[in-house]
Amino acid sequence: MSRFILYRLALLVPTLFGVLLVTFLLLYVAPGDPVQAMVGERADPETLARLRAELRLDDPLYQQFGHYIGGVLQGDLGTSYITRRPILRDLLERFPATLRLAGAAMLFAAVVGIAVGIFGAWRPGSWADRLATFAAYLGVSFPVYWVGLILILIFAVHLRWLPPSGSSGLIYLILPAITLGMRSVAFLSRMTRAAMQEVLQSDFIRTARAKGLHEGRVVLSHGFRNALLPVVTVLGLDFGSYLTGSILTETIFSWPGVGRYVLTAIDKRDLPAVQGSILFLSLVFVMVNLLTDLLYARVDPRVAYD
Amino acid sequence: MRQFLIATAFVISACGEQGSDQTLNYYFTYDPRSLDPALSTDVPTGEVVSQLFDNLTQFDADAQLKPGLARSWDTDAGGRVYTFRLRQNASFHDGRPIKATDVRASLLRALAPGSTGGRSWPLYPIQGARAYAAGSAKEVAGIVVRDDSTLVLTLEEPLNVFPKLLAMPVAAIVPTPTPPNFDQGPTGSGPWKFVSWSHDDAILLAKNQSYWGGAPKSDTLRIRIIPEPLTQAAEYEAGQLSVVEVPVGETRRWEQTHADELQRRPALRDLYVAINTTRGPLKDLRVRRALNHAVDVRTLLGTVMADRGVLAAGSLPPGIVGYDSTRAPYGYDPAKAKQLLAEAGYPNGFSIKLWRTQRAELARLAQSIQQNLAEVGIRAEIVERDASSARAAVRNGEADLFLTDWWADYPDPENFNFPLFHSRNTGSGGNYAFLSDAALDSMILRARTTTDETEKTRLSRLIDARVFELAPWIFLWFPVDIWASQPDVTGWRIPLVFTGQRWMEAERTR
Repeated sequence: MSRFILYRLALLVPTLFGVLLVTFLLLYVAPGDPVQAMVGERADPETLARLRAELRLDDPLYQQFGHYIGGVLQGDLGTSYITRRPILRDLLERFPATLRLAGAAMLFAAVVGIAVGIFGAWRPGSWADRLATFAAYLGVSFPVYWVGLILILIFAVHLRWLPPSGSSGLIYLILPAITLGMRSVAFLSRMTRAAMQEVLQSDFIRTARAKGLHEGRVVLSHGFRNALLPVVTVLGLDFGSYLTGSILTETIFSWPGVGRYVLTAIDKRDLPAVQGSILFLSLVFVMVNLLTDLLYARVDPRVAYD
Repeated sequence: MRQFLIATAFVISACGEQGSDQTLNYYFTYDPRSLDPALSTDVPTGEVVSQLFDNLTQFDADAQLKPGLARSWDTDAGGRVYTFRLRQNASFHDGRPIKATDVRASLLRALAPGSTGGRSWPLYPIQGARAYAAGSAKEVAGIVVRDDSTLVLTLEEPLNVFPKLLAMPVAAIVPTPTPPNFDQGPTGSGPWKFVSWSHDDAILLAKNQSYWGGAPKSDTLRIRIIPEPLTQAAEYEAGQLSVVEVPVGETRRWEQTHADELQRRPALRDLYVAINTTRGPLKDLRVRRALNHAVDVRTLLGTVMADRGVLAAGSLPPGIVGYDSTRAPYGYDPAKAKQLLAEAGYPNGFSIKLWRTQRAELARLAQSIQQNLAEVGIRAEIVERDASSARAAVRNGEADLFLTDWWADYPDPENFNFPLFHSRNTGSGGNYAFLSDAALDSMILRARTTTDETEKTRLSRLIDARVFELAPWIFLWFPVDIWASQPDVTGWRIPLVFTGQRWMEAERTR
């Protein structure tokens, strides 16, 4: 197991280097000029030229890349062109908000999605199962943007039960977590239902029932445990993507996470901020994937990495 | 579970406090770049800087120029030497009195290479400032401290708009030396003191009890960062914002449901399509006029913008010296447009590219313009880019047409005529039409330098008439701002310029 972890961690180096190189080249060839975005209107050519020189944008590409890599190797993701603040500090400041939102969304998705999926597999074809299937279709079909605004309209404007947006406390998490987690609920419920249906038809389930075990125990302990692998996969992938920022949800709910930071950086052509963010978020994504893989071995003893 | 409920109850009670009588709740659509005036290149930074700091001069909500830290000023007969006399009772938030040396240091700091955000141009008219900013001079000869409360600024050439330039955020007065972490939590001298800034979330300001102009009526100004317009509207409807700009798509509904809360004000702003006068068929004046006749501006204003605008027949909006309300717009006349195109040698029209940024409200507008142009034979392809890319291409002269707008930084015809139409400013300076007209250039420079207000008004009217005649734009409209303020909020008006609302009189009466 430890060899596997070491191997995966070693793979991080070429992965992140590749991410850096591709991002750097993409941003280099993308249209737009960071200096133009910095100065706003009424800029004179001398100022533009001076800022380009200050930011080393006139240096050859390989020199710019070398300079950037040099900084990264020393743990310095650089300084934002726009805010003039260290990018790592900006990201670390916003990451806890993203982590809170991603965690809450996953919790919501896991509890609701798995419960609905198990129920659907246990009583397939029942009205509740059909309703859940229909809701799952709605969940994946409705855009996040629309769902978020409708939830705000109902629960914040009309009923006034919840705040429309912001991040001042736990109560502010409810609407964005539901909005963000809704897609995962849909996927998870279908995934759980399918996996469980297969498992529930297995011989060992029949045996468990024949032994006279309580039905709840049959379904949850024997059935669900064996259907857990695909569920963990979906959970891990979704959690990884939530942690890398949910631009739409964060925008609608004024949530101060990394998604909005990246969006602003792209909009302002804040090259080091975009590069730094992508590097940071790639690291997060890869680490979550690694943890998910390790979790496989935990939930299914048949999975071994050595 | 019990802990969760307690935490929830605590949060709910905290929400109540935020909306208490003494707190005003405002918002920005994005996080300020910094709280340092030297980096104020964007609107949120400029707005918050105007709460935290003072300038020598400042604007009120009606965009009238008022004394700021300078209690008075005068200029010599040639219009080049300005003498400012400072207030004796003004001090920074840490209690230190503000002296003329602080003003000088602040202006030098804003100009200094390396520390600027690239927007120190309002100070360039000062003698020697441009060379100092470029790093080729160690001093600025035009800034002289006569005594603790007198500062003399000498300009390179006469410029009647100069006192208004000093009201721009970049010219705010900061303590010397600036304390550490100044850009994140500055010490200013304005009506509001800095309390906290949670990035992308909220900025908290407290009233400055010892402000020389009297303390603001409310205790706290909380500025949330809310990017989505419909969320802003929802926050207002839930009672969490004191004021809100009504989203365009919500205009008709709010006129019914919130009629008593709405304020309307023609903005100092142009919405237009810049026509690159140096490209292909667009060099021909007849073609540019044809474009103006081809677009049904009145219908567009009604359908796309809910009539939130005044039709434009020139670039100077109502409220700006030189605006001529009697001049008629080109008017929708496709037959005339076709005739002009035929006269110019394009009876079958031509192909062209219409650039726009990704701003949602511009999407429908661009499509409608495209459709109108197609009706007279002009095949316009819409090129959609992010703001930075579009601006870079337009400034490099690569765009035929560019749908955009212009917001006045200060209320003066110079803020339109010089950047938008003088040949010195083609491209990055703001003249996206790349217009170059000797007669126009001459009038614009004379209007900038004259010390005679009557002459300035006369010239501004002539300039606007000439611009209209040359048709460097498809003239669309001057937008009208519509905001709502909560029934219990008094003393707040829509500011005409972005630094004009300092929340001094605003309060909640219930």
